Amino acid sequence: MAKVLDDKKKGHGHGHEGEHPAAPMVEEVSDFEILEMAVRELAIEKGLFSAEDHRRWTEYVHSLGPLPAARLVAKAWLDPEFKKMAVNDGVKASLKVGVDWIKSPPTQFGTPSDYCNLRVLEDTPKLKHVVVCTLCSCYPRPILGQSPEWYRTPAYRRRLVRWPRQVLSEFGLQLPADVEIRVADSNQKTRYMVLPVRPAGTEGWTEDQLAEIVTRDCMIGVAVPKPGVTSNVKLPVHRAIHPIEHHHS
Amino acid sequence: MGSPTRSEVMRHLDLVGQLQPAYHQPAQAPYPDEINHERFRALLRSPHDIGGEADISIRWEEKQEEQWEANTFATCECLAWRGVWSAEERRRRQNSDVGETQYLGLPYYGRWLLSAARIMVDKQYVTLTELNNKVEEVRKRYEQTPSR
Amino acid sequence: MSKPHHDRTHHAKKATNVGDPQCFKGQAGPAKFKAGDTVRIRDLPDFFYTRCQTYTRGMVGTVTLAVYESPAAEDEAWDNTDKPEWFYSVKFRQKDLWPDYPAAFANDTLETEFSERWLEKA
Repeated sequence: MAKVLDDKKKGHGHGHEGEHPAAPMVEEVSDFEILEMAVRELAIEKGLFSAEDHRRWTEYVHSLGPLPAARLVAKAWLDPEFKKMAVNDGVKASLKVGVDWIKSPPTQFGTPSDYCNLRVLEDTPKLKHVVVCTLCSCYPRPILGQSPEWYRTPAYRRRLVRWPRQVLSEFGLQLPADVEIRVADSNQKTRYMVLPVRPAGTEGWTEDQLAEIVTRDCMIGVAVPKPGVTSNVKLPVHRAIHPIEHHHS
Repeated sequence: MGSPTRSEVMRHLDLVGQLQPAYHQPAQAPYPDEINHERFRALLRSPHDIGGEADISIRWEEKQEEQWEANTFATCECLAWRGVWSAEERRRRQNSDVGETQYLGLPYYGRWLLSAARIMVDKQYVTLTELNNKVEEVRKRYEQTPSR
Repeated sequence: MSKPHHDRTHHAKKATNVGDPQCFKGQAGPAKFKAGDTVRIRDLPDFFYTRCQTYTRGMVGTVTLAVYESPAAEDEAWDNTDKPEWFYSVKFRQKDLWPDYPAAFANDTLETEFSERWLEKA
């Protein structure tokens, strides 16, 4: 870890009465941060990609989140024909919520890591899906945003495929024994999102109202939508040392 | 139970759980006759192939993203966008080539970052000397913060 | 010193406005399996890298779909993309996969994908 002292404060020790107290401005730059800068600068210097490419990609990723997927679920709940289409062709259905798996990303050929093969997994009262990538952390970013930290952990990846009911109960979800729990392990180019069962108590709701209760966790499959519940299971948040600064125009 | 393959698979899942990241040199290189098929399989396994292994219940957490992590993600995708590697080549390097100790011992995005550095050197876009010099240059930059 | 020339444009040329795995459509020849087929996962050599999970090897399952054509991950990981294969989604019963899976949850299943080389008729 490289520790840097602000020059202005160097040499100010303790016990100088009346002067500004010595509050050493230690800016700690980690080995990771140093390497990250080195790699990015070298890549740009060598013409592997441009600074503009990097900025555009950052902006694209910042634009991603679970709202389009939630709207896809809401539309499917309201329109059986759309639901059928979504289950058969997730990429086509995504267009209806403004996500073009091929052309929304700057590449114009999909994101390198997420490809262009969304499969929408339809839950029924007797079938509950839950998604994992045991090999890494593949996730349908273009329609659902970035994956949560827990999804990437070795513990989730090791355990969900073999002890799904135990893992789900840790997320607060328990299902009757006769319900088929189907774990989808996204190990290749397909990316999955769960289309949960529409809950009771939502009769007559608008698309917006329905989308509001379809959280990211519902579309991974570790939660089910409930009237009045509009956010993910509340979990501890590991804070960043140097979090992202978003530049909002 | 089941077939010989399934028995072997189940024994493998139990055995690889005993491989742990090591910060010190483990026992000296064994003789070949000390490595049976099960140990051969365990030693050669792709580190990322962990589905079905035993693990403890951990506290499920969210994490606030570091700026360097977001930058790393964009760097890796830009490298693929501009044809330096494909995502699959990245995964192979980042989730397998790094080896068992780094796989379990490094942070998630630490592996992404290391693999981005490595691909540039492996494909000779950058020499290792250039990479090391650049890291040194960046490090020195942070030791020379100008007075404000 | 020797320095290979890398063509950094080859994927973009193939996949721009088309998508991936769409860009491999029609290149794998006829699919060997179809939805409903019973298949076994082959325990093939898997030096250096595989995306066929060890926990599936030797398992018998049912093909649910032929999903797309693509180079196998084991080849794509070294940029060898000349020989796409059909990929299949295969479903297993959890009680078959895991000896310790609770008998009370006999309906539980798992679904994951395989490139054709990993499958044989069961």
